Amino acid sequence: MRADIRMAWTLTRGSGRGEGWRIALTALGAVAATGFALAAVAVAAVRGQVSIPFAHGLLNQPGERAGVVLTLVLLLVPVLGFLGQCARIGAVHRHHRMAAMRLTGATPAQVRRIAAVEAAFPSLPGSLAGCALFAVLLAAAGHTPPPLAWAGFAVVVLAVPVAAALVGVLALRRVVASPLDEVRRVGPERGPRAAFGFLAAGALISAVGMLLIGPTSLRAAAFPVLVVALVFLTGTGVIWAAGASAAYLGRRLTRRARQPAVLIAAGRLAHDPWAAARTHAALLLVTVVGVAFVGVRAVMLEILHDSGTLPDDLAFYTTGIDLAGTAVLVALAISLCGLAVGTAESLATRRRGLAAQAAAGVPRTVLARAAILETALPLAPALLLAGIGGTAVCVAYARIAGTGVPLTPLLVPPAVYAACLLAAATSLPLLRRAAHPAELRFT
Amino acid sequence: MSPSDEQLFPGETALITARGLKKAYGRTDALRGASLDLHAGEILAVTGTSGSGKSTLLHCLAGIVRPDDGSVTYGGERIDRASEERLGELRRTDFGVVFQFGQLIPELTALDNVALPLLLAGVRRGPAQQRAGEWLERFGVRGQADLRPGEMSGGQSQRVALARALVTGPKAVFADEPTGALDTLAGEQVMTALVHTAREAGTAVLLITHDARTAAYADREVWLRDGVVDPGADAVTVQEAARHEG
Amino acid sequence: MSTRHVLLGLLAAGPCHGYDLKRQYDARFPQARPLAYGQVYTTLQRLVRDGLAAVEGTDSDGGPERTLYGSTDEGARELARWAGEITAPAPFVTNEIFAKVVVSILVAAAAARTGQGGPDAAAHLRAQRAAHMERMRELTALKAAPGADLSTVLSADYALVHLDADVRWMTTTTARIDTLTAEVHAA
Repeated sequence: MRADIRMAWTLTRGSGRGEGWRIALTALGAVAATGFALAAVAVAAVRGQVSIPFAHGLLNQPGERAGVVLTLVLLLVPVLGFLGQCARIGAVHRHHRMAAMRLTGATPAQVRRIAAVEAAFPSLPGSLAGCALFAVLLAAAGHTPPPLAWAGFAVVVLAVPVAAALVGVLALRRVVASPLDEVRRVGPERGPRAAFGFLAAGALISAVGMLLIGPTSLRAAAFPVLVVALVFLTGTGVIWAAGASAAYLGRRLTRRARQPAVLIAAGRLAHDPWAAARTHAALLLVTVVGVAFVGVRAVMLEILHDSGTLPDDLAFYTTGIDLAGTAVLVALAISLCGLAVGTAESLATRRRGLAAQAAAGVPRTVLARAAILETALPLAPALLLAGIGGTAVCVAYARIAGTGVPLTPLLVPPAVYAACLLAAATSLPLLRRAAHPAELRFT
Repeated sequence: MSPSDEQLFPGETALITARGLKKAYGRTDALRGASLDLHAGEILAVTGTSGSGKSTLLHCLAGIVRPDDGSVTYGGERIDRASEERLGELRRTDFGVVFQFGQLIPELTALDNVALPLLLAGVRRGPAQQRAGEWLERFGVRGQADLRPGEMSGGQSQRVALARALVTGPKAVFADEPTGALDTLAGEQVMTALVHTAREAGTAVLLITHDARTAAYADREVWLRDGVVDPGADAVTVQEAARHEG
Repeated sequence: MSTRHVLLGLLAAGPCHGYDLKRQYDARFPQARPLAYGQVYTTLQRLVRDGLAAVEGTDSDGGPERTLYGSTDEGARELARWAGEITAPAPFVTNEIFAKVVVSILVAAAAARTGQGGPDAAAHLRAQRAAHMERMRELTALKAAPGADLSTVLSADYALVHLDADVRWMTTTTARIDTLTAEVHAA
């Protein structure tokens, strides 16, 4: 094991700038994951009715605290998506390296251990830093959690790198099976499994969140549980729709395309229709939540206004709703970062081919348009469906509450779409470098 | 220019003229004052050992990289000073490039890969595909039209790459070790296809190779050593080429 | 190449006269040194003397009288033995270019002692390489011509790979000419 760790360390140290990005971004993701998890544990550890001078007393009651804990735990889902994107950085390169090691005689177990250490390595300092940051915040707030909570903190700090290691091993399972890495690309890289695997992991996280709230408050929170289940169900449908529509669009457009950029993007879609679903799974899920939230918020505010709640209590409720809204925005931001990382990674992986295209006279604007279209084409139908799913949730809620159906949720999908295109566009400066003729010199 | 060039191609000026090209990558000098003429319709082999600057010379002539010093002239235009847009346009319309591998888009079929330069030039999809099909036919890979590069043999995908380089009817094709990754027989099929088609279309070919048998497909050869064109070898081959042409 | 065995092989198909044998030989082995008419007859007479071939008769076919030759049983056995025999792979290294390079170095050293200019081995190698390349281009043009038959292609290929081997040898030798010069001087 010591030898494997040393090997992983040597490999990490000797790798290029892409690996630096992977380490930095993974560490950042680990900080966020640790932060959210520690906060959830800390809030969950508070017992009974207390008085916490924060957010109009949102944390005073066990019932509301359960909601906060659930929100914090659910925030781990987009973070997971982001970490998944980070793990893809330099994946092709690492695949080749591992295959070379298998060819020179490394056993599958050795390769698996090295991959695990390599994946866990950047997240350990990340989770430690997140823990330190959180401890400072606790000290600043003057709050001392009970001993049980400290045990929970330790579990979280260790669980984050372990989870990263597991993901790393899973990603390399094909190389471990065969030392001859696939040099030729014939079929699509991977099917929808990764996307649905992500959903399953998200559902698992939510289940853990429910357990953290405790069975008693869970019964009280039957409605949120129903909403979470509905969101995951819709998410599954949306992700499936993303893959299916990408396959359809890809096939149709490769036949019909007139613009070179559309042809290139469509060719990539048809070749690996599930790529978009994998990259955007977290984003689509967040969009469903976002649409539903905007609708539910409008309905709740209407109820509050109609029932003539006292201004003080009104502030309490709106603070809660606004905090939940902030959580949705944070989740959206994290997912957009994941999307940007995914687009950049896709360009970096193909840089030699892009350089050859540019050398052959394909204008960079065409390559850039193709890169954006690759994000834009499959996202349009998927976001449409996400919008419909989210609207269904808030229509159902409005029916139950007996209020009018709000129209504001309809604005969410176009806004998310625009944000996605902007996020994808952030990788375009990288295209300039990737398509540089200097890349032709290194084979 | 050596004096015999005028006698060799009477009434014909060079298609592309390179003079005193210098290019350094970091602390490595790839070119140290290389000069070269590529005449219209000729097939010129540039040979030399690894690291002699062959590929860099091709990149400079095709307007893919800018030399640090020296000039490249094509049809009276200084390529080394042209804008990026102009260079892109030249490479799309007047030049074709073929590398050892990697110039085909892996996600597109052979037919679409060949049609792509036409689409970029504004040709409609239908006619573009039809012309692409004709070029695949010429290179004997019509049967592979619906396959993706990963599904073809190395020789087949190089012939598709040649079709893509020639489909726009360029004045010059730049081929950098086009047979480098192929076995002898596949390499010969690729070279025969390239030479026949280039002669038929009157396209000049600049062929980079380290292999004498590949270089023997050319009309003449220049030998590159340490970033300059070896004068002795060039002088001899130019005279030999004159005899060959006559 | 053993001309007598090749002629014997051509006779295996059936009796033939000398003139047809020469024509067949030149067609089967394109780019080989053409067979002299007189050599065909001398070889056939030796074959008859050794009992490997026999005169089968004459025909005139309206023109001058011509002798028909055929293979004997012993001839067939000898042919089988020769065809099955492994050709010795380069038993002696004969390399005229190398000899000229070494001689050039020696002469140049002697000339330098008397203060005169001598031959330049590296320049010689470059000139030789250019001549090789010219021949390779000729052969390549021959085999790449549309409609070239396989015999022509294979004959040209044989010469091309041999010339290619020479060219590679000359390239590596040119790169190491200084070390070689030092070695020749030391010896």
